[in-house]
Amino acid sequence: MMKELSVFLVGVGGQGVLTMAELFMGAARDLQIPVNYFPTKGMAQRGGSVKAQLKLGRDMVGPTIRPGSADVAIAMELSESLKTLRYLKDGGDLIVYGYRWQPTQVMLGKARYPTLDEVRLAAKQAGAELHYLDPQALPADCADNIYLLAAAAKLSLLGELIDSASLREAITRRWPKSAAINLASFDAGLAAKE
Amino acid sequence: MKRLNLSGNEAVAQAALAAGVKLITGYPGTPSSEVVDSLWGRAPAGVTVEWSVNEKVALDTAGACAWAGQRALCTMKMSGLNVAYDSLISFAYSGCSGGLVVYVCDDPGVESGMPEQDVRGFAHMSDLPVLEPASVAESYWLTGYAFELSEKIGGPVLLRSVTNVSQSHAVIEIAGDSPPPQREAVLIRDIKKYTKGGAEICLAQHRDLLARLDAAGRIMHADSLHQLELGERGKPGIISVGVANAFVPEALSLLREEGIDTAGFSRLSCRATIPAPREEIAAMLEHCSSVVVLEENEPYLERAVIEIAYRLRLADKRIAGKLDGLLSRIGAYDAAICARGIAALLGCSYQPQTLAAFEAEAYCCERPIGVCAGCPHRGVYIALNQAVKKLGYHKDEVMVTGDIGCTILGMSPPFQVLWTEVSMGASVAMAQGYVHAGVKTPVFSTMGDSTFLHAGMPPLLNAVQNQTPITAIIMDNGWTAMTGMQVNANTAAQFQQSALKKRVDLADIVRGLGVEQLWIADPYDLPALTAILVEAARLPGVKVVITRRECAIQAGRRKLRYGRQHIDQELCIKCKRCITTTGCPALFWDGELVGIDESQCNGCGVCSSICPKSAIVREGE
Repeated sequence: MMKELSVFLVGVGGQGVLTMAELFMGAARDLQIPVNYFPTKGMAQRGGSVKAQLKLGRDMVGPTIRPGSADVAIAMELSESLKTLRYLKDGGDLIVYGYRWQPTQVMLGKARYPTLDEVRLAAKQAGAELHYLDPQALPADCADNIYLLAAAAKLSLLGELIDSASLREAITRRWPKSAAINLASFDAGLAAKE
Repeated sequence: MKRLNLSGNEAVAQAALAAGVKLITGYPGTPSSEVVDSLWGRAPAGVTVEWSVNEKVALDTAGACAWAGQRALCTMKMSGLNVAYDSLISFAYSGCSGGLVVYVCDDPGVESGMPEQDVRGFAHMSDLPVLEPASVAESYWLTGYAFELSEKIGGPVLLRSVTNVSQSHAVIEIAGDSPPPQREAVLIRDIKKYTKGGAEICLAQHRDLLARLDAAGRIMHADSLHQLELGERGKPGIISVGVANAFVPEALSLLREEGIDTAGFSRLSCRATIPAPREEIAAMLEHCSSVVVLEENEPYLERAVIEIAYRLRLADKRIAGKLDGLLSRIGAYDAAICARGIAALLGCSYQPQTLAAFEAEAYCCERPIGVCAGCPHRGVYIALNQAVKKLGYHKDEVMVTGDIGCTILGMSPPFQVLWTEVSMGASVAMAQGYVHAGVKTPVFSTMGDSTFLHAGMPPLLNAVQNQTPITAIIMDNGWTAMTGMQVNANTAAQFQQSALKKRVDLADIVRGLGVEQLWIADPYDLPALTAILVEAARLPGVKVVITRRECAIQAGRRKLRYGRQHIDQELCIKCKRCITTTGCPALFWDGELVGIDESQCNGCGVCSSICPKSAIVREGE
């Protein structure tokens, strides 16, 4: 029986979260794995919350992930990562790229932004297996969403279902002219240290 | 056959082409827009695809095409059907000679911010069949089925999707390239069918309408459209429709994991609520000890099940759902909600896990919906706030009605200038209502260009006819923006799809409606716009201010920049007024200095007018 996997992705509009989800979907399609991909942009342009839900391995499947059932959650933004905990199953992998996209009120010191320790504590309480990627460690000239895509595949169950070769193929297909730089970001992500 | 990655909406578009559709019309509205969007500029030969002025126009156009014997598709969001319903009910009573499919997307769970309505209620009132796809693949084949059904019964068919189906993407199999539509248009003179002249005609049409709905039920049954899987006699059963069908398998595995045994349960997966699949429901009721009805939003299918149970003298059987308080009419469904409904039949109370994680969300920083960097609407909101002050009022004393679309974002911080949001075009009529209520301070209304063209013209004409003193601001950014940048009649000629590239100027329309006091202002020029708003507010009669600048996102896509702004750090006193007044995402405070993110700034210059020290300067000036 084909393995089923639910993946919840979050971030901020403009970061490339949906691109990441679309690449996972493209690779799954090449591997003949059924996928339902449901992106939600809300009313947000750049700077608003964005989420995407991937349900892999089942032909007839409801588009949304019920609370406590995602096998993997991927967050491109530190504060937004907290929104995945509701959906992650006990022991599920949470891959967080710790970029901080601060709304104006936070910048001005009028609203709080969660600390990394608060995120770690919340993840622990929710039973999440946290894999934290420090944005400072992103190599120069790397696309952060492709870097995170590779790291997430490597650090979670996603990698068991979707191999690197298929993801590399999906990246090359999407950017035939700038494949090299994106594949370099991908390789950097595979080598990323938690 | 081809295998393609399509969204639910794109699947509807492709299926319509495969069905030989002659015309596709629509008005943009999340979550339905991609049917027309995906064919925009690439309609195959012989097929017309258009963004219409509003949903009623879209439906009237498509309806006539179907009266001429062709297949026509009309698309809109649920709020759009509120606008088009006047025509839909008339088309329903008349029927059609070709195929007419009306595709409407509901939004359970409200991802896009309008009333959480269920358009199946409209179908009840007009006795129209409603097909409800559960997935992207079903969106494809039910569209083709809808055209077949429409022509077999001789009347329109509603195809109802929801956000999480229409916006989902999946790889599905579709027909190869379809030949262009083959039919010739026919003119049918049939007064008894195509007019509503008198009781005799209308009563006969009502009779025919009911006969068409009955026929639809017989055809669906004969086609085995609904999936009936009877399990063990005397065990419970699950009746579901639409996207709930897709959640049931996951709900059943979930219950198995929880040790709740659902072996032998019967299932009925309906692909339509109206007409209710009476035979299949009867079979379930006779076979099962109890049933649960799983459907999002309103309990329309559930009511049908209860009614059928009553007729069969099975009214004492348990029928679980919303009407007994078990499940909610509010919000979108997921597998856990379906599992709760199913478990209840066994007397188990399955409670989806409530995690400590819910509390974690309290730490999240809020991301209020705001306007983009360089958005021309920003200038209007700030100028309105400044004008109110210059007129000697506090902002809590001046009514500014809002409307649908991006223009409503002025309700949010830091502007907080708009008070109301009702429906397309309502802002201008509501402003008149506030005046008649006896409000003594000036009353303003705000709406975008597409909203004005959609439903803003009649209320403006109303103000002119009655000379009601209001100041109506039309924020003209050249696009139907919030729904994803569609073309409207006011969009620049180069982007029009018609051969003659015709653009209609809003100013001509406003003058044509009899408005004598009209200003055209640049929303990037704050002092000038503020002065105009002050002047207009002080004058009697109907005043219109058109603020004109292209949407910053669309202009940005063509690399249009108006200049480069930078901050003279020697002049900057770090008051941060530029950030707090404009809320522009291109401005930032790094803890020591105010800065401008060059990648976002389009040089609109609104922040320069805010700075008390003139520290934000345009490069080269």
